Amino acid sequence: MTNTGVNTARPPRGLAMSSLLRADSIVMLNSKTSLVLSALLPIVILVVTSFGKGQSRLGGSSLLVSLALTLGLLTSCLLGYTLALAHDREIGVLQRLRVTPAPNWMIITSRLVVQVATNLLASIIVVIVGAIVHGLALNVGQYLLVIAIAVIGAAMFLAIGQALVGLVQSTNAISAIGRLLMIFLLLLGLLGGSGILGDTMKTIADWSPVGALLTLFSDLLNQSAWSGQDTSSLLACVGYIVVFTSIGIRWFRWNSR
Amino acid sequence: MSEVNMPAQPPVLDISGLRVAYGERTVVDGVSFQIHRGEIFGLLGPNGAGKTSTLSAIEGLVSPKSGQLLVDGLDVRQEPLEAKARLGVQLQSSSFQAELTIQQIARLYGGLYGVKLSREQIRESMRTIGLEQELGKRFKQLSGGQQQRLALFIATIHNPLLLLLDEPTAGLDPQSRRGLWRRIEELRGEGNSILLTTHSMEEAQAVCDRVAIIDHGVLLTIGRPSELIDKHRDDPRVLSVAHGAPTLEDVFIGLTGSEIRD
Repeated sequence: MTNTGVNTARPPRGLAMSSLLRADSIVMLNSKTSLVLSALLPIVILVVTSFGKGQSRLGGSSLLVSLALTLGLLTSCLLGYTLALAHDREIGVLQRLRVTPAPNWMIITSRLVVQVATNLLASIIVVIVGAIVHGLALNVGQYLLVIAIAVIGAAMFLAIGQALVGLVQSTNAISAIGRLLMIFLLLLGLLGGSGILGDTMKTIADWSPVGALLTLFSDLLNQSAWSGQDTSSLLACVGYIVVFTSIGIRWFRWNSR
Repeated sequence: MSEVNMPAQPPVLDISGLRVAYGERTVVDGVSFQIHRGEIFGLLGPNGAGKTSTLSAIEGLVSPKSGQLLVDGLDVRQEPLEAKARLGVQLQSSSFQAELTIQQIARLYGGLYGVKLSREQIRESMRTIGLEQELGKRFKQLSGGQQQRLALFIATIHNPLLLLLDEPTAGLDPQSRRGLWRRIEELRGEGNSILLTTHSMEEAQAVCDRVAIIDHGVLLTIGRPSELIDKHRDDPRVLSVAHGAPTLEDVFIGLTGSEIRD
């Protein structure tokens, strides 16, 4: 082995990870789309629905706040994270990072950590705003549970996004499919969950990603006792995380060619 | 060019029987060569010859189907991160995160290679490559020459044992190209070995100690530029394309053919 002025030492992992986290945080802060999707859009929905009789028509305060939280997580993970990853893959940013001594898992983990942290912060802001404008009285325990469920929700939608980037190569196609998928999941969770499409669709909707997360959030904000439906919803979320993470890891490609 | 004492030290890069394939299509087929300490080695070939795929295998971006790749004695497939720590890489089309400034890019890649850089150190480094005024700019806001200088700076930020440059002067004006050649010579003087790919025979003759010509994934010939000219000066394929005394470009076209590659 060499022992001259040239560098042959493998860099410390802590420094590599902290450098990636700092850079990804700067990228996130500079990415206005991500911030708008994760916090501003849900807050606008909360404020708009706080006027007049909108709350009761739309299913009550807890459902509206749950919807705002779910929408924030869904859009920022499925559109924000997924598109940023696909774009960086297309222009060669990921390949440039891969030729460094940073392990592949570290490059993706850093992005996921920053995304989840942003989602958590946004969820806390959204639930605080929701509690104020919709008059919900929440205790510290409920806020902590909101954080825990937001982590699960973010992980679920990030796993779906990761699988999408793994299965589809083109950034334009990912953008189009991501939008369609988002609309489909939202409509399924909301319309199907409301029961207006029939019992079969309601069952499917309750097990869907948006339906399961809405159930967890709204039961928590309603201060309902833990039910069998909550257990089912939690299991569904964990199942989606496992399945889509596996797909995302198995088929992920670092370049778009 | 300085003389390199090739047999005296173990090779910095040792490739033997390298085979790379994408699906059924073999793009590198049994390539073998070595690069020695302080050597500038040029890999020449037409488009699609297998240059970038060879580099990608060394960089760990593609997995070879067979063959051995040793960087400083380390098997690239067995110890990829240890091997990558010894490599500096400038990809054909380097791209950095669009939202980061040059200063932030330098800090990120310094950290990834274990080099902690202060603001002042980054400023000083940028001054030496003429980018001091651009510190707050983003990568896309730089000119082509400035982007190449930054990409080369990032590739050498940890003073690597072996520098891999994939067509480093493509698209540069003559001034920038000469500047880059000077920098490559300086890096060799600092103890680095360099493997570069190029289409430019002028570049190969100006900076490379040895060159190899590759086509259809197969290494056709290897040696010092002057040796290759001597070796192939009587080859009918070379004579048929030469105008007067054969040049390295005549050897290149004679061996790889005259048809245009995409």
